[in-house]
Amino acid sequence: MDESAAAQARTAPGQRAPGVARVPVSLRVNGTERRLEVDTRTTLLDALRDGLKLTGTKKGCDQGQCGACTVHVDGRRMLSCLMLAASADGREVRTIEGLERDGTPHPMQEAFVRHDGLQCGYCTSGQIMSAVALLEEGRAGSDEEIREFMSGNLCRCGTYPHIVAAIREVAARGDHA
Amino acid sequence: MDRAVVGEGVDRVDARVKVSGRAAYPTDHDPPDVAHAVLVQSTIAAGRVAALDTSAAEAAPGVLAVITHENAPELCAAQGEGGPVPPPPLQSDRIVHHGQTIAVVVAETFEQATEAARLVTVLYARAEPVVDIENPRAEHVRDPFGTDDATGDVDKALAEAPVRVERTYRTAANTNNPMGPFATVASWDGDELTVHDCTQGPSRTRSDLANVLKAPRDSVRVLAPYLGGGFGAGLRTWQHTVLAAVAARQVGRPVKLVLTRKQMFTSVGHRPDTRQTLRIGATRDGRITAIDHEAWQTLSIDDANYEHVSRCSLSGYASPNISARDVQIRLHVPSPGSMRAPGDAQGNFALESALDELAHELGMDPLELRLRNHADVHPVTGQRWSSNELRACYRTGAEKFGWSRRDPEPRSMRRGRTLVGYGMAGTSFFFYQASCAARITVTRDGQAVVGSAGMDLGTGTYTVMTQLAAELLGLPLGRVRVVLGDSSLPRAPSAGGSGLTGSMGSALHDARRNLIRSFLDLVRDDTDSPLRGADVDDVRVEDGRIVREDDGRGESYTEILTRHRQDELTAEGSAEAPKEDLPVVPTGPYAAKFAEVHVDEDLGTVRVARLVTAAHCGRVLNEKTARGQIVGGTVGGIGMALFEHTVTETRTGRIANGTFGDYLVAVNADIPDLEVHFVGGPDPTSPNGTKGCGELGVPGTPAAIANAVFHATGIRVRRLPITLEQLL
Ligand code: FES
Ligand code: FES
Repeated sequence: MDESAAAQARTAPGQRAPGVARVPVSLRVNGTERRLEVDTRTTLLDALRDGLKLTGTKKGCDQGQCGACTVHVDGRRMLSCLMLAASADGREVRTIEGLERDGTPHPMQEAFVRHDGLQCGYCTSGQIMSAVALLEEGRAGSDEEIREFMSGNLCRCGTYPHIVAAIREVAARGDHA
Repeated sequence: MDRAVVGEGVDRVDARVKVSGRAAYPTDHDPPDVAHAVLVQSTIAAGRVAALDTSAAEAAPGVLAVITHENAPELCAAQGEGGPVPPPPLQSDRIVHHGQTIAVVVAETFEQATEAARLVTVLYARAEPVVDIENPRAEHVRDPFGTDDATGDVDKALAEAPVRVERTYRTAANTNNPMGPFATVASWDGDELTVHDCTQGPSRTRSDLANVLKAPRDSVRVLAPYLGGGFGAGLRTWQHTVLAAVAARQVGRPVKLVLTRKQMFTSVGHRPDTRQTLRIGATRDGRITAIDHEAWQTLSIDDANYEHVSRCSLSGYASPNISARDVQIRLHVPSPGSMRAPGDAQGNFALESALDELAHELGMDPLELRLRNHADVHPVTGQRWSSNELRACYRTGAEKFGWSRRDPEPRSMRRGRTLVGYGMAGTSFFFYQASCAARITVTRDGQAVVGSAGMDLGTGTYTVMTQLAAELLGLPLGRVRVVLGDSSLPRAPSAGGSGLTGSMGSALHDARRNLIRSFLDLVRDDTDSPLRGADVDDVRVEDGRIVREDDGRGESYTEILTRHRQDELTAEGSAEAPKEDLPVVPTGPYAAKFAEVHVDEDLGTVRVARLVTAAHCGRVLNEKTARGQIVGGTVGGIGMALFEHTVTETRTGRIANGTFGDYLVAVNADIPDLEVHFVGGPDPTSPNGTKGCGELGVPGTPAAIANAVFHATGIRVRRLPITLEQLL
């Protein structure tokens, strides 16, 4: 999703619907100010995907149990399916679409490619967002630590050893900031 | 040209689009004016819908339609080309399992549809559900696939055998649970239907949908360029896919229907639970004289499922007397379906556990027992194998693992309070290749586009087909683009049974031959061409050129197309399944697996510390993705061994653990580094030498782990998953 397409997509879920409580929300998403109006029941995940058309963030369970929807809110990893869009008002949100800098992928994205840390790719956005946060939290000191702190992100394709290898490499190089 | 484009660990060609979040999965499609559909599912397992009140739902904000069996269109119960189609939805008031779809609510938004779905009230007429495999009231279907087979006289051989093992093994129901919830986005344009669907077979879903909806096949297009996993769940055209199309027609707008995680347990199949009895007879020096395998598996009331559980015993070991039988038990449970090595995963657990028990009984090394009874030819038919490097798998695996360090005595290897166990198992997977077509276009600028309706569910099809096409056309990887997952492309089988690479690779081979022939036809009478008059068998390709084998003269695709003022040339090709009456038996992949487990003596917790796989997969097109397939399957196998268990309440038929919080799967911390070694060479059955490898991860893994647990603890666990209660 490029920025201009996303910026045009101001329609939030429920726009046409009568009789629904709606609230205005403004978020800073990947460095850009975004305003939208959402159903009070809309999660941050659905607001990103359906409202802002940032579909890189995935829904795996909608119950806070799989990690596919991981984004950064105010610099910390967060399960976006557990947060209401309305309560993200005024916060800084970073999604997978915001990891590239000037068209250059984040070192973690590169490492996932090299180590084949993905198969179907559905859990991958969440894995990478968690992995980047892990380094920022300083929790990638050993394989055990990586495995432990990546255990909230399920991968049914079973790429775990490759994900660990990717994170291990980026952590060792120390160029992830 | 660089001939090494195949075999190398090339990065996945679709990796970049996936790590950037740009790959569009079916759930990511939002056509303009899309409406959202949500399913209502039954809260009883058997009986009828006595009355339905949809008025509150219909009056709820944003609701466009509520479809139930009372107003649903009549649909056709179709027999599909690729196996049975699930019964069409909402055709009667009958309820045959808990979580059966009884209504679909369509609204402007997802939230509104979800809210309105809660307002549908249902009055049920309940009947007593039968949900236990051992319930005597259940209907038994014997020899359901017509594949029960036998050789020799098993009963007599067992009666005479000096050593006998007779055991019953059980495996739990497992749920596929791909990370991507299944979804369908259906849009009608007049009588033309376009569907973005979570399917592993766009061609099959197209024909199934056309049949069920009674629409011409050409009017249906199914797209699945990316899929959030499937593991077999995408092999059938499930009811929600049909309902999305029905709902879209009814409301006259595109409709998006995404299953909830809970619905993923009831709506897209699962691995059926089994109860298997193994009887093995042997001589004192460890020659197997009889194998008898009877496998019961569960099935739903109104559907069919092909799941060959006992089949592995027909070809596994060189026994003169073998009998293998499958029985399906009809229960009030959701339709089962394929899940990662369906049937073989469960059957192999029973067979390879029983082998381990026999080895213990004989006081023989389990590896030695397997080598001594290796099937040099097919034990039932006596035919030779097309290729079989299982012995080499055993040797390489044992060496890499350090099997010789194993003290044969159970409970003899410990580190403090940790009991250490070594276990192993072998596995052979059947050969599968189906009819497939593919198309190749070469353009004037020397690029190739390959197209086939087959898809890539994370297995690496995009990547290996890019490599194969690059090799077949003599082009660098960067000049080949592969387009998949669209039923309007040449028809292809579903991605399953480790069969797509072989099928599509063979089709590509044929398409390439036809394409080269078209190029040669173009220059047949061209006096400017060094290829004039050449036949397809007289040339090879290299560096974007077709050259004569005899004198090495030739010219590039670009030169030919430019001179003949053509923008491009396209050819199609196809390949069929190998003939039935081959002198040899085509074989799938083989593997030997060696596991080290650590069991906490006080807590009974089991951890897999290492797992080494040595695999014979024929020619490996891409070491990186092939390894990923086996590693991923092994993670699934560890889950099957230690965690996964779909629990059905006996009284109600309700699935008691239908969430990722309650249905445990292996997480990162459960998985050690997993070693994979490839052994053996290409298989002659397919022109590309492949055997497939994706299904090799699960079978063998649970048995190797259970055998290691026995070695660690002296406790034989015959019921999966292995839980701590069984070890305390
Ligand atoms: S979708 Fe948020 S944790 Fe699963
Ligand atoms: S790559 Fe498929 S779920 Fe992780």
